[in-house]
Amino acid sequence: MRLIKFSVSFAITLALVYFLDNRWVIGKAPLPPLGKLLDPFHGFWQNIEPRGAQPPTELHIPGLQDKVTLVFDSLAIPHIFASNEADLYLAQGYVTAMHRLWQMEIQTHAAAGRVSEIAGPAALENDRYMRRLGMTFGAQHAFETMMKNDTTRRMIEKYAEGVNAYIQSLHYSDLAFEYKLLDYRPEPWTPLKSALLLKNMAYSLCMRDKDIEMTNALQLFGPEVVDLLYPDQEGVGEPIVDQPGSWKFANVLSDSIPLALPKELIQVKKKPGADPTTGSNNWAVHGSKTATGSPMLCNDPHLNLSLPSLWYVVQLHGPGTNCMGASLPGTPGIIIGFTDSVAWGVTNAQRDLIDWFRITYKDSTRQKYRLDERWANTRAVVETIHVRGEDAVSDTVYYTHWGPITYDNTFKANNDHADYAFRWIAHDPSLELLTFYKLNRARSFDDYKKALNTYQAPAQNFVFASVQGDVAMRVQGKFPARRQNEGRFVLDGSLRTNGWQAFIPVEQNIAYRNPPRGFVSSANQYPVDNTYPYYITATSFEAYRNRRINSVLTQDTSITVADMMALQTDNYNLKAAESLPTWLKQLDSTRLSPAEMTAFDILKAWNYTNTADAEGAAYYEAWWDSMYPNLIWDELSQGDTLLDYPTTYTTLKLMRDKPDLAFFDIQKTPQKETVVDIVRLAFTKSVQSIEQWKKEHAGSTKVPWGAYKDSRINHLLRLEPLSVAVNAGGNHDIVNAFSKTHGPSWRMIVSLEKTGVKAWGVYPGGQSGNPGSPHYADMIDTWTNGKYPALHFLQNAGQSADKFSSIVLTPSER
Amino acid sequence: MKFLLQLIVIFVLAYVLELFFPWYVIVVAAFFAGYVVRSRANFLAGFVAIAGLWAWKAWMIDGEASTDLSARVARIFTLQDNTLLFVITALVGGLVGGFAALSGALLRPAKKKWYEKR
Repeated sequence: MRLIKFSVSFAITLALVYFLDNRWVIGKAPLPPLGKLLDPFHGFWQNIEPRGAQPPTELHIPGLQDKVTLVFDSLAIPHIFASNEADLYLAQGYVTAMHRLWQMEIQTHAAAGRVSEIAGPAALENDRYMRRLGMTFGAQHAFETMMKNDTTRRMIEKYAEGVNAYIQSLHYSDLAFEYKLLDYRPEPWTPLKSALLLKNMAYSLCMRDKDIEMTNALQLFGPEVVDLLYPDQEGVGEPIVDQPGSWKFANVLSDSIPLALPKELIQVKKKPGADPTTGSNNWAVHGSKTATGSPMLCNDPHLNLSLPSLWYVVQLHGPGTNCMGASLPGTPGIIIGFTDSVAWGVTNAQRDLIDWFRITYKDSTRQKYRLDERWANTRAVVETIHVRGEDAVSDTVYYTHWGPITYDNTFKANNDHADYAFRWIAHDPSLELLTFYKLNRARSFDDYKKALNTYQAPAQNFVFASVQGDVAMRVQGKFPARRQNEGRFVLDGSLRTNGWQAFIPVEQNIAYRNPPRGFVSSANQYPVDNTYPYYITATSFEAYRNRRINSVLTQDTSITVADMMALQTDNYNLKAAESLPTWLKQLDSTRLSPAEMTAFDILKAWNYTNTADAEGAAYYEAWWDSMYPNLIWDELSQGDTLLDYPTTYTTLKLMRDKPDLAFFDIQKTPQKETVVDIVRLAFTKSVQSIEQWKKEHAGSTKVPWGAYKDSRINHLLRLEPLSVAVNAGGNHDIVNAFSKTHGPSWRMIVSLEKTGVKAWGVYPGGQSGNPGSPHYADMIDTWTNGKYPALHFLQNAGQSADKFSSIVLTPSER
Repeated sequence: MKFLLQLIVIFVLAYVLELFFPWYVIVVAAFFAGYVVRSRANFLAGFVAIAGLWAWKAWMIDGEASTDLSARVARIFTLQDNTLLFVITALVGGLVGGFAALSGALLRPAKKKWYEKR
């Protein structure tokens, strides 16, 4: 009897341990391993950092050749001092992993289409998509190129060694919170993962195209309407480089390309590309316009804001280099930053570097397709996707001369046997890392010029300034020398000549040095004056931020750092200033309801500034959102037939210039509407939605813009408790481009004074990826309030201050 | 008296073993003390010792925490605040500790008193 009782009791004990030591999926909700997770000796409680915790003073790291000193300042920014390059990148890998390992790994998993391994079947569709875009295909090419160059090979190999030294030091209790919650362990880091992260950046910045949408529009509406709705140039503002007549070179290739439109309307449930409001600002002001007489450089890339943050700030000090700035966790070197002689920054170049080619198969097996005079073989790649808790899924992706077939009858397309192959610049072998290696050591304009020559993708507007007094801008990337209209529509993939025939020679790229106006600037607008001999197209170019920045910079003299901070956080809404007065006139103020009358008065008194407390901004943005895109462009949502919406600028221009345009008619109503009807209808709707918002917010009598916008910096897992709500001004199309989810992901200002480079920088997050660390989100308030901590650009490891701590990394036996 | 001794043995032993081994080493501590120091309420001793140990340790960590992670984790589990998270932490450890102690006690043959012997 006793033994039976014992057996039962012991079995319960073992079953409990088994249950609490494993992850379960109940219904569809995952339940983490509760015993492991809640054990205060090893579980998540161990991720809570005590107040005033100090890092160890010494760590033994295998693979180091010499001692390395890490100084952490009060924001936990590491300043790495190494005596040789190999150790410098090993230490960068180690310290970045220490703060951000989980993020680095999940982002490479996402890029490689491997999230299902961790999250289960919910992630499967996106994993398939990433594989069908050829992300690893591109990363592999980049990786092979990096391995052939001694410098970049050493960088990625040593960085990986550092990351792995950290991973090997981990016990369960040291794992990041997310590993414990999702119940998995980090795998060894590989140099290929650094390549994947660079491709992930290309995916964020250079993944937007509208070739299929344009092709459908051309078939449905004809060429005049297409040029009206989707012009290549909107003719607004100044281009990034404005030097008419200065392009004195023999350009390559400029014949024409035949339009070969497919007969069918293309029906693809295309995944959305990069958010159209993703963009960035950068500028550099010449010493003749600044208070100190030295140039100043500013940059703020606008991206999807997340926690842990996209950027990790670091200083790298070693032989031949002393540089500081924002690095991409998972990639060696610094992407946006400064040395003791120069500074550089980037904005996205927008150019269309994606084409879709229609494939003519020989038969339904998809094994052969027409390529010039012959039938070429497709290459079938079987992607095996491991799914947590389920059987692995196999997905066959066919590769052609052009690239992979992303959409086909198994994935989001209805057109049987009319597949389109995906050609993307980021699939090509490239060596971007060498550019950053050289920029991290640059001392002059010539160094910058040389560094940029090997940079391919994602194409960027590289701003530059130096203590010697130079300011410069260069639109750098690998650009096909496109023929007129090439890349606007889908192309016939049966002719090789329809592909990219030649590339613009690097010395013919758009560039500007010390222009007479005293500054260079870019905000994703059209890049160049009309005398530049190459055809340029893109999904969209920016129309508002660039004009605001240029008008402020043109007027300003004796510019101070405070002026630059004010400009980066400028909330002036040029779009509203240009559109609101007309809309208000279009309202018949006698027929307004009381709530509408209030809105009318608030809007009338508003100063076109999207500050957090501005009610006018809330009413204006709600009004615009009620119009664009769905009310105005209702004709362009046609089921599965993909169409794109005209840009904000083109829409507002058409509203002003062509109020009777047929598109302004609302299709589902019997009567014929014009712009005035749309504006009034949208006004009524927007006031209603704001009244609703007030009701939902404890009967609030006011609607401040910041609260209405309800911005949020989301944790990468979209876990609300780990995300941070932010009440702040700004919006897309405004210099302070902080919309609901996107915004300035790193604000940097560098003053290049001969007596020493000074810099300020902040991002909406914190250096540590650990939600239990005081440095998880400690810069958010500073960032929200438009404040900038000074960056401590140390000259040597001994130069540390109060509240700094340091770790000495010493070599150890393997 | 034995109960208290048993409870203390489990608490101390589990504390020491947890410094070196994964969480389920609490089974060893409670089982051992259940077997060696058998009391009249073995389950209770195991439960209270481990629940107490885990709640105490979690409370110590949270007391000197630099952040409110425990409150955020509570919200991930859709709990109102972190008080319940302490309770669940204690409960999870306590249940395992209780059954382990009970099992240990049940494995040991009953020691018969002199007047029961024949």
